[in-house]
Amino acid sequence: MSSSTLDSTFAALADPTRREILVRLASGEASVKELAEPFQMSLPGVSKHLKVLERAGLISRGRVAQSRPCRLEAQPLKEAADWVEHYRRFWEEGLDRLEDYLQEIQRAGEGGGGR
Amino acid sequence: MAAGGDPRPGELVVTRDFDAPRELVFRAWTEPERVRRWWGPEGFTMPYCDIDLRPGGTFLRCMRSPGGLDFWVTGVFREIVAPELLVFTDSFADKEGNVVPPTRYGAGSGMPLERLVTVTFEELAGSTRVTVRHAGLPSGEDRDLVRHGWAGGLESLSGYLSGAS
Repeated sequence: MSSSTLDSTFAALADPTRREILVRLASGEASVKELAEPFQMSLPGVSKHLKVLERAGLISRGRVAQSRPCRLEAQPLKEAADWVEHYRRFWEEGLDRLEDYLQEIQRAGEGGGGR
Repeated sequence: MAAGGDPRPGELVVTRDFDAPRELVFRAWTEPERVRRWWGPEGFTMPYCDIDLRPGGTFLRCMRSPGGLDFWVTGVFREIVAPELLVFTDSFADKEGNVVPPTRYGAGSGMPLERLVTVTFEELAGSTRVTVRHAGLPSGEDRDLVRHGWAGGLESLSGYLSGAS
């Protein structure tokens, strides 16, 4: 999973309403209307949250019925939960960039020979 | 400070050799203008970086994701032995530098407020070995996080959230 995917997963999960929506979907598919009820929220309001969740790959929407029922996709959540992996990627990618940076400034003589 | 050893649960060890003098590598970790050039995952930028490099001194960084999301991180330097060793805490923050709970950035409640990062810089023949030990991470193993949290998937997330409310 790329950092930008992980990014959108965390952004999506940062909101309590969206977490509640995921919890609701854990017990089965639901329509937008069914999801809106417990939150006393307008349909467009819920739709907005659903779009964020869908972009993050946390839910999918049915294509057939008019209600386009929402379904949970658990995989991104599992991946986001593994913080050791998250930080491993964080440091590995950072150290890749550090390697490039050190090469670049040494080529340019910007490093001053390390003094 | 031994760089080797197996990581403990919740601890991460990453090692990398750099074809550069140790002093330069250490400066790349401690001078804001250098830190900003490389810190963070691919595609991230760092619009803000302040480092007060002394024991007890703090740092504050803002990492901006490719999607434009800002992650503020702060910490305190616990130990500084230039150019050999850096020990600092690592916490999520707001832009004023106040520590905020990791849940603010979408992490589960199993993530502690503060993690500890130990970085050693060893001189090898013509290169520098950097070892990052990152402790205090929820490892997703035999913890509440698995039983009640996000790592166990949605059923346990559901239980966790209803238990928390």
